[in-house]
Amino acid sequence: MQRTVLLSRGQWMVFGGITVTLGVVLPLLNVLLVPGHPLQVSDFTLNLYGKYLTLAVLALGVDLLWGYTGLLSLGQALFFSLGGYAMGMHLMLMIGKRGQYKSDLPDFMVFLGYPGLPAHWQPFYSFWFALAATLLVPAGVALLFGFFAFRSRIKGVYFSILTQALTYAAALLFFRNDFTFGGNNGLTDFKTVLGHELNDPGTRRTLYVLSVALLGGVFLLGRALTRSRFGQIQRAIRDSENRVLFSGYATAHYKLFIFALCAMITGLGGALYVCQVGIINPSEMMPDKSLEAIVWVAVGGRGTLVGPIVGALSVNALKSWATRAYPDLWLIVMGGLFILVVLFLPGGVVSVPGRVSAWWRRRQARRTAAGVAVAEKPVPAPGEKSAESASTP
Amino acid sequence: MKTDWILTVEGVNKTFDGFKAISDLNFYLKRGELRVVIGPNGAGKSTFFDLITGRTKPDSGKIEFGKDTDLIGLNEYQINRLGVGRKFQTPSVYTDHTVWENLQLSLKGPRGVFATLFQRITPAQRTRIDELLEVIRLQAKRDWRAGALAHGEKQWLEIGMLLAQDPELLLVDEPAAGMTDDETHRTGELLISLAGKHSIVVVEHDMTFVKQIARDGELTVLHQGSVLCEGRFDAVQANPKVREVYLGRGK
Amino acid sequence: MRRCLPLFLLLLAGVTGLTGANGVPPGRAALVAALLAEPDAQPAALRALVGVEDEAILPVLTAWKQGEVFLYTGADGVRIPFRLDTAPDDQGRFAALAVADGRRLLDAEGRPLSLEATALKPIDTDGAIRRAMRDVTELAALVAPDVATRVAAADRLGQGLKPEHRPLLEKRLQVESSPAVRRALHVALALFDLASGEPARQLAAAAVLEEKDSLAGATQLKTLIDQAASQPNTVDSAVVARAKSAVYSIETHYQVVNFVGTLFRGLSLGSVLLIMALGLAITFGLMGVINMSHGELMVVGAYATYLVQDLFILWFGKSGTAFSWYFVAALPAAFLGAAAMGLILERCVIRFLYRRPLESLLATWGVSLILQQLFRLTFGAANVQILSPDFLMGSVTIRDVTLAYNRIFVIGFAIAVVVALVLLLTRTSLGLTIRAVTQNRTMAACMGVRTDRVNMLTFAFGSGLAGLAGACLTQLGNVGPGLGQTHIVDNFMVVVSGGVGNLFGTVLAALGIGAFDQVLQPWLGAVMGKVVVLIAIILFLQWKPGGLFPSRSRNLD
Repeated sequence: MQRTVLLSRGQWMVFGGITVTLGVVLPLLNVLLVPGHPLQVSDFTLNLYGKYLTLAVLALGVDLLWGYTGLLSLGQALFFSLGGYAMGMHLMLMIGKRGQYKSDLPDFMVFLGYPGLPAHWQPFYSFWFALAATLLVPAGVALLFGFFAFRSRIKGVYFSILTQALTYAAALLFFRNDFTFGGNNGLTDFKTVLGHELNDPGTRRTLYVLSVALLGGVFLLGRALTRSRFGQIQRAIRDSENRVLFSGYATAHYKLFIFALCAMITGLGGALYVCQVGIINPSEMMPDKSLEAIVWVAVGGRGTLVGPIVGALSVNALKSWATRAYPDLWLIVMGGLFILVVLFLPGGVVSVPGRVSAWWRRRQARRTAAGVAVAEKPVPAPGEKSAESASTP
Repeated sequence: MKTDWILTVEGVNKTFDGFKAISDLNFYLKRGELRVVIGPNGAGKSTFFDLITGRTKPDSGKIEFGKDTDLIGLNEYQINRLGVGRKFQTPSVYTDHTVWENLQLSLKGPRGVFATLFQRITPAQRTRIDELLEVIRLQAKRDWRAGALAHGEKQWLEIGMLLAQDPELLLVDEPAAGMTDDETHRTGELLISLAGKHSIVVVEHDMTFVKQIARDGELTVLHQGSVLCEGRFDAVQANPKVREVYLGRGK
Repeated sequence: MRRCLPLFLLLLAGVTGLTGANGVPPGRAALVAALLAEPDAQPAALRALVGVEDEAILPVLTAWKQGEVFLYTGADGVRIPFRLDTAPDDQGRFAALAVADGRRLLDAEGRPLSLEATALKPIDTDGAIRRAMRDVTELAALVAPDVATRVAAADRLGQGLKPEHRPLLEKRLQVESSPAVRRALHVALALFDLASGEPARQLAAAAVLEEKDSLAGATQLKTLIDQAASQPNTVDSAVVARAKSAVYSIETHYQVVNFVGTLFRGLSLGSVLLIMALGLAITFGLMGVINMSHGELMVVGAYATYLVQDLFILWFGKSGTAFSWYFVAALPAAFLGAAAMGLILERCVIRFLYRRPLESLLATWGVSLILQQLFRLTFGAANVQILSPDFLMGSVTIRDVTLAYNRIFVIGFAIAVVVALVLLLTRTSLGLTIRAVTQNRTMAACMGVRTDRVNMLTFAFGSGLAGLAGACLTQLGNVGPGLGQTHIVDNFMVVVSGGVGNLFGTVLAALGIGAFDQVLQPWLGAVMGKVVVLIAIILFLQWKPGGLFPSRSRNLD
């Protein structure tokens, strides 16, 4: 085991290249070129990419739990939405008198006949309070739920089922009008953020660049985390929790930490998502949304950091295209895709190159050196986490 | 006369769904002693280890570690941090980690969440891991995925992980299972060499191995959840009760 | 009958019995007389109808009030009140029907008379007439053929406390045979007595109200108690004491009734949960497969019921007894439909995923998406209409507790399913092999059990149970493509809190959660109730992480 570095020289170059392309080149192509130019990136496209990037943050949160710690949480959509709601509350208050009812109160409160702004809405006039809430509210819910779940050693599918119930219960609550978060319709019709008009292309470009930065930051954080001692324990918990427990590690604390951390990351992603999409409602926190995020991770490749990003971007791009081209068939395509990946490609898309080269090497070895014992490292077991073991020498 | 007991188990009972797995069990282990526990299937050997390591809570009775540390009510990891290490019957290693990492994770040291976030390996730890690799003879495979090791090698690795923890008390469940005769013999020698520095309880089936490591130490026979008899290997072997429930069938 | 005679003598038009001398029923003759009377005399004439038993009174009075009764003056100067037929003829005119006998009026030439609605001037009403009408209709309801109408009328009169109604109530009590109406009449009379101010009658009334467990009585008794408190000496102290004990007794009765009712609803809800969760308990508990598409298999059963219903409509039409039997035919269809779907699912997906719960969860979620979309494409996104068979509509009331037939059916059906399942698992060779495979797959395979086939059948069977649950659901709510999703979370909760793989635990958990849910709902509302149930389950698992009956394993993980 040599000194751990965050990224090797080559990896830094690839990472920097991609980040610059996404974060600098695309926005420049949007600003500098006139609409209609073949290389121009339209405002719409940039906004769409920004949305995908925040969804990739959600996917990373899923993967740090599922791929690295073995916790398949169906509650990530809840944390994403909680972050989104916290930011949405601030944006809602920033509408001011520009709403339909020309009132200081948010439109839905006027419509539902609220006497005044509920006390828990008051602090959300402050942007920084809202930003803190996007981190702390999801973390608080995760800590509370995780404390009980991990304390009673709920794991595997039980954890999935209970997080599913948690998300479902929360969604039911948010659907209620008297829960003070806008009921069915949620929060929408935002106008400004920090004084900038939300439908101004400049604001949107900034939000897009922020999304690139957030995703890049979360990627590096994930990289640092998974390569640390903590990351080793994380994966050890995934593979043999009892061994870790009997080695003196309080596994529940580790799980609680990563669960809360992922909730915070996901919450931030949700906040940026809401800024760019302009609406948040309770259907975003249905268990289905969590499962959708899990599909991205599975398709991309769980247990790697690149996989979830690849999965989130590609599946969402496919979705955008398919829901327009074949609206009736999209769900069938997604369901089918998922079944095929689970059955035949557990390592996801990112494991394909490794699999192909392994197959090629085996073939070569058989051809050239039949009968000669080859003393080399064992080939990773097919399928499971082969990509991960390839990336950690 | 006050003996320096490392482990005191007194009047312990444990029932699962009406099945009495452990009944009025008394067991005392001297500091530095190597004790072999034998017994037929279902005698309660694994439950016995479960009770000591906190995996199961006894219905009644007393389990103490060292002078007066009560183990009942403590978690697995708390008991482990006190200095009780356990090796499972089926080798339990981190299959996706390298051999090196397996040992590194088991090294004695701070085990809190925040400590591990920024922990770096020290030169002293490197030396220690190298030593351990030599002991378990896996130097050549230090960068192998543990999942790719042979069954016997996994057993060795787990023993190595146990040593890395440097526990006062080692609970070893069937260490020789799946090993060749030669490996078994070496395991026996290793355990004997550890005795004195550590206190060790070994559960085993293989009578040759038992004879090798028991030497002139005491042997405990468990039967139906309580101690059938204790004594030297020859005495136990000659005991008619033991012959009836265990050895008699074995021969 | 003898006591009724004086009343009859009051009638106009020389009525001597149930039918008039000229064959016109007494009510109609009096009606005609009232209609023909001068406006000033009409209220008095109408009041003469009070207590007369004739089904025609109510509809004619209603028509009169709505301005749909007219006068025809014949060539001979005789005035005849009439109404128009409901449907016009081909020239848009209506046939005129006499109020007296319902026969068609004839014009001067003896031809049937047809008139245009707009050209007619109805017989007028004014305030006094309408008040009189109301008196009559109220009382007419007391003799209506429908029991519920009579009960409602007795209740209304008892609360109206008009002295002139009392004799009518007493008279009706003489001839009334329906126990429900008799009870209402007794209560009404007791209410009159309670208002009489005479201590002896009030005491007796309180006793009657207590015996009959009358809610209206409790209200009146409380008024009396309040009155005694605010104006001392107006009410006898013995009466107050008696009233208090009566109120207590009545309220206790209704607490019990409400509790039993809640329990019953909880039991029926629990039964639905149970039928749904049993299938899941088999696939999850016995086979280690998390089937997220279990809800959709349920919907397959529901749509199978819908198809069978439509077939029956096609063959037998919507009305008639033959149609009602569609549900009996739908049950096996739902079972087989869902089982077939489960079989396909098992062969194509599940069999690669045994004992890999997380993977099976993910793959079957994909299946559930596909199935939902297929439902939407086949049956449309909207809910489909499913009619209840006659024998599942309505309810029976026992000691004030209302038991709906469909709920009774669901409970009975759940019991039958559980019994059948237990018999199947313990008494048949398939059950034996299922249990063997569950406990030790490898060993069973070594002993010559064709585990592959057993898996297939078990999974299909569990799916079939889901189909049955779907068929049951059609009788309790709407059926749409998303039906499965609304139930799947509850289902998993049942299986987890019951202890995985333990059928008895599943039964207890389903009934417990159903009852808990129903007890909470009146206080917290449907959504909060659900949320509290979920929280309660999470806390329950703190106490018993393995559910009610955890399965023990000696494995490391």
